Amino acid sequence: MLSINYPKIENKSYPNLELSLIEPMHKLNLRGKNREFFTKVGKQLSIMLPVESNTSATIKNISALWLSPDEWLIYGKDVDKNLELSLNKEISNLNIGSITDVSDQWVIINMKGENVFEILSKGSPFNFNEFKKSKNVVAQTLLNHIDVIIHNQDTNNINLLVRKSFSEHLWLWINDSSSFL
Amino acid sequence: MSESFRSSETKFLEKTIRISFKFNGKTFYGYKGDTLASALLSNGIHLVGRSFKYHRPRGIMTCGSEEPNAIVQIGGNGVFTEPNVRATEQELYEGLEATSQNCWPSVEFDIGGINNLISPVIPAGFYYKTFMWPKKFWYSLYEPAIRKSAGLGKSPTQPDPELYEHKYIHCDVLVVGGGISGVIAANISADNGNNTLLINDKSSLGGSTIYQDDQNYKINEKISSDWLNNEINNLKNKENLTILNRTSLAAYHSYNFLLARENISDHKSLNERSNQLRQRLWKIRAKKVILATGAIERPLIFNNNDRPGVMLASSVKKYIDHYGVRCGNKNVIFTNNDTSYETALSLNKKGLNVSVIDIRKNSSSKLVQSVKKNGIKIYWNHTVVDTKGYRKIKSIQIMQLSDDGSNVTGKKINLDCDCLSLSGGWTPMVHLFTQSGGKLKFRDEDQVFLPNTAMSDQISIGSCNGDFELDDVVNNTITSIKKFLDITSTSFDNLNIHCPKQKENRNIWLLPNDKPLGKTKPFLDFQNDSTAKDIKLAMREGFRSIEHVKRYTTTGMGTDQGKLANMHALGIISEAAGVKMGSLGTTTFRPPYTPLTFGTIVGRGVGTFFDITRKTPMHEWHVENKAEFENVGQWKRAWFYPKGNENMHQAVQRESKTARESAGILDASTLGKIDIKGTDASEFLNRVYTNAWSKLGIGKCRYGLMLNEDGMVYDDGVTTRLGENHYIMTTTTGGAANVLSKLEDYLQTEWPELDVWLTSVTDQYATASICGPNSKNILKKLFPSIEFNDENFPHMSFKNAKLDNVDCRIMRISFTGEHSYEINIDSKYGKSLWEKCMETGKEYNITPYGTETMHLLRAEKGFIIVGQDTDGTMTPIDLQMDWIVSKKKYDFIGKRSLYRSDTMREDRKQLVGLITDDPNEVLEEGAQIVRDVKKKPIEMLGHVTSSYFSPNLNKSIALAVVRNGKKLKGNKLYVPMKNKTINVTVSDYIFYDKENKRLNA
Amino acid sequence: MFIINCPFCGERDQSEFSAGGEAHIIRPKQPTELSDDEWADFLFMRKNIKGIQFERWYHAHGCRKWFNVVRDTSNDKIHAVYKMGEKPPIK
Repeated sequence: MLSINYPKIENKSYPNLELSLIEPMHKLNLRGKNREFFTKVGKQLSIMLPVESNTSATIKNISALWLSPDEWLIYGKDVDKNLELSLNKEISNLNIGSITDVSDQWVIINMKGENVFEILSKGSPFNFNEFKKSKNVVAQTLLNHIDVIIHNQDTNNINLLVRKSFSEHLWLWINDSSSFL
Repeated sequence: MSESFRSSETKFLEKTIRISFKFNGKTFYGYKGDTLASALLSNGIHLVGRSFKYHRPRGIMTCGSEEPNAIVQIGGNGVFTEPNVRATEQELYEGLEATSQNCWPSVEFDIGGINNLISPVIPAGFYYKTFMWPKKFWYSLYEPAIRKSAGLGKSPTQPDPELYEHKYIHCDVLVVGGGISGVIAANISADNGNNTLLINDKSSLGGSTIYQDDQNYKINEKISSDWLNNEINNLKNKENLTILNRTSLAAYHSYNFLLARENISDHKSLNERSNQLRQRLWKIRAKKVILATGAIERPLIFNNNDRPGVMLASSVKKYIDHYGVRCGNKNVIFTNNDTSYETALSLNKKGLNVSVIDIRKNSSSKLVQSVKKNGIKIYWNHTVVDTKGYRKIKSIQIMQLSDDGSNVTGKKINLDCDCLSLSGGWTPMVHLFTQSGGKLKFRDEDQVFLPNTAMSDQISIGSCNGDFELDDVVNNTITSIKKFLDITSTSFDNLNIHCPKQKENRNIWLLPNDKPLGKTKPFLDFQNDSTAKDIKLAMREGFRSIEHVKRYTTTGMGTDQGKLANMHALGIISEAAGVKMGSLGTTTFRPPYTPLTFGTIVGRGVGTFFDITRKTPMHEWHVENKAEFENVGQWKRAWFYPKGNENMHQAVQRESKTARESAGILDASTLGKIDIKGTDASEFLNRVYTNAWSKLGIGKCRYGLMLNEDGMVYDDGVTTRLGENHYIMTTTTGGAANVLSKLEDYLQTEWPELDVWLTSVTDQYATASICGPNSKNILKKLFPSIEFNDENFPHMSFKNAKLDNVDCRIMRISFTGEHSYEINIDSKYGKSLWEKCMETGKEYNITPYGTETMHLLRAEKGFIIVGQDTDGTMTPIDLQMDWIVSKKKYDFIGKRSLYRSDTMREDRKQLVGLITDDPNEVLEEGAQIVRDVKKKPIEMLGHVTSSYFSPNLNKSIALAVVRNGKKLKGNKLYVPMKNKTINVTVSDYIFYDKENKRLNA
Repeated sequence: MFIINCPFCGERDQSEFSAGGEAHIIRPKQPTELSDDEWADFLFMRKNIKGIQFERWYHAHGCRKWFNVVRDTSNDKIHAVYKMGEKPPIK
């Protein structure tokens, strides 16, 4: 049997900061813009895709993250191969949008605790002042010069999505920054 | 040694904490709260360094960042050593070691002092003029000698063990400066709901007001320092206010982006610093900026004004009032304004001997009245004409000024003096304002440049805005902040302020002397030893622009950037040239405001974090199997896998041979991959690639070449049609991000009507590429259910497959010319897939090969690498790839450019092969190619782009771009190297298996 | 470092963007019909003015959308941002 290998990211604790890897996690990239696309996706996910920029919508175990006016990323426990197949059937195959499996394109690191934004501000030019006070907001920005998607789920509890090939480097950087909080 | 110059009690020192430190090897003592400068002065030490050019003894002159003389080496000889530290800013800590710079063998006796004696022959421009010729002397004699005598301090020789970091901060209002106006500004801003950041370069807030103990200055019936102290305490409880002490602003860029350096542990003893950050660079984004950067006092320019013991009057006041240190016992204050009378009063109050020399004829200020009342002698309308004393000032000579101030008259008077306090008025610190693009205006009455029009949302308040009186400072600060923050009332409205007002002004930039200028040394820039003479010399030699005079005389080019010198230089130039100072302008103030350490600039970007590294899913396997790595963009790619004691050449020869004879495996996961969906996907590919795509069958792969609009090759790769409206495109490793942005560009701007969706999936898939005659056998074992014959699975086609129930895609494509397959799998299985291939291929001696072998194998086949064999000036025709350029398609990116007269020239550089006469001679990549070695000037025809020793052909092969190369096939050309000339013959660029027989072998 | 108001994501640091040169240079629909000079005009000729300039920016590290910016090159002030296909809000 083929075995699964994730980047070398293990759970870590620092003062007021908990880091952990949230994998495996199925992730899908959705692209589309017409009404049919929104209706069909809404039906399949039981969520209306968020149209407000930099926001997310979460119902039960599916989160839909706004990435651009015609691009979303969905992930969560209820996102799986079956959902991917039925979305493909309803959307990709009918040419009303595009569904792409990006489960292994992105790695999710969860950061929890009062020091989350302390760490982020060491490497990101993004203004977190309002962001950290809001739930269900999303920022695509740079962290230590690496593209990231930051999903603010709850007070001081974020999911950080980073492209897999960058993930070990970013993980080292986060740990380095956390070691002198 | 006892601190015999500590004369009074002060609340700013912690007298219970005595601190020992070393200066030039001797142990001294000070207290917590001292700076190195105040501690030295408390021990009676003024002489701390030698000047840069003449090596004249120099003493502590100021108490802040403008200090030109007291720059020392800190931290001994170890890893913590740091040159050019201003003693006036360095806080004292237990065990601090400081040494004088720029002197040898010691600051007391310095051989370089001989320069002072010969100074008449080394005026401004001396080095430029003298060391011009003979040229060969420059390298052998002049440069080494100048290098040795130049430079301030010693740079550390070992890596810096300390930690530095960067941090972003966003605020509504940034207040720069912790003096009285900064404190008021921060108070008002925070009280009105603004997220406020206050930065202050000192260890605590309060500026110069906090030690103002004079009854003449009162706010709401309290002495100004008490009032301010109370306001500072009020700041502590404000939630939306952040105060950063020991933080100095380095740079003010456009869009209110500012950089500030915070000193975190520089004031702590070494054993208190362990594993702590030393400095932090704050990257500040502020919606609004309030500059309250203050003003610094000007010296006066007269003969021998640079002796140790000559100081700024306001600094002498700070040393006595703040640190309880007297700088001298026989004090003379030399001034042109009222503020320095505060120093006289402070010294008098401590029972010290003081007299005043004032170039004005009188003053009616209340301060002056107080001075007179205390029986202090004032010499009105007098100037200092000379000073005596080598290591410390001993006496001064003064004379009366003529009515117009242009000359001196009467008899010389000798005065004993061991500390001469200078005050030539005040210079507002407008550096940051101008860095941000602000334009200045000139105020004639007291000869100051002031902020005029700002480029960003900001204001200047307090003395940096030209308010020098307490009531003006406070009242104007409040008024401007109300307007700036749109506030109607503040808790500071209706303050009752009492202060004496500045009266008569008289300013003489260069004070007259009884001797001619040539016989005097009136220093302007103390650090760079430039005098008023040098400025006048520069003007005589024709320099007019302030920027030119600055560079010729080096005025203002020291580590203090001329904070003290610049205004006088301007004044003297404007007088000599007969131009108004306001119209002369200033030199450009550039960041950083005060010097930054390299550590602060790089932050954590050292070692592992110097650059970003991307790793493939198989990376760990490569490491375990001793691969050497090559950086390809940010990727770490396996370069070659040495066995035993193999060197790179041996490893590559073995890998290349095995790949052609049996089987090789390459980690190709780094190739860019873009998922393309939509009903117009085929049309889109037609437009972006040079060849035609509409007829590509589902399940088939095709190589594509992408051009820029200028017709030059931009990227290449294989694209596979997965479904009717679904493709997966591969790009070069380095080009992935740029290709995606270029494709998005066309989709979003030129062809928005196309129904195409692009998604980057580079990291989604791991790719193992297996090539060689046995590759088919290995694939058969891995995928028993698939028929691997040329009918069912021909070259340039693809199949979906399952490996242990995991989906994968197999493409039969080749970059080596061998029968070859690429297996793509979800990247979490990448390492496992690789291991499985290795295990399965064992019986065929499957050999992992790296990028070097990959490059060699493709070069044997004459396949280009975009970026190695192309450089943005090669068209597909130049590359002899006419076959891939569709003649039928109406348009594609770059098509029209292929028919420009220049791109159609026949004598363009073209891709050819080169064979060396000596088959063992491997050319150097980048080597130039010529036809005639003797012709002068030598004519370059082109250069070698790829070169290897081919183990499969057993000879050296190279690809090159050569002018008119297509027509030169068979011709002899030459590659001249340093020690020899290599003979080569132009050949076809395909060296191996021209008939492509091996693809189907 | 500018702050650029991405029409989709809002105000972001300049480091998230890349610049794409002068705006409103439309790719000719029929390049083959053009003379060398006309094609060169499209390909190479750019205004590079001091003053108000219309230019393209790409939110490379954000929403990956291209858009237009009106910037005064003499002082870097950005006067407006607008989406592709829209008319400049300022003349």
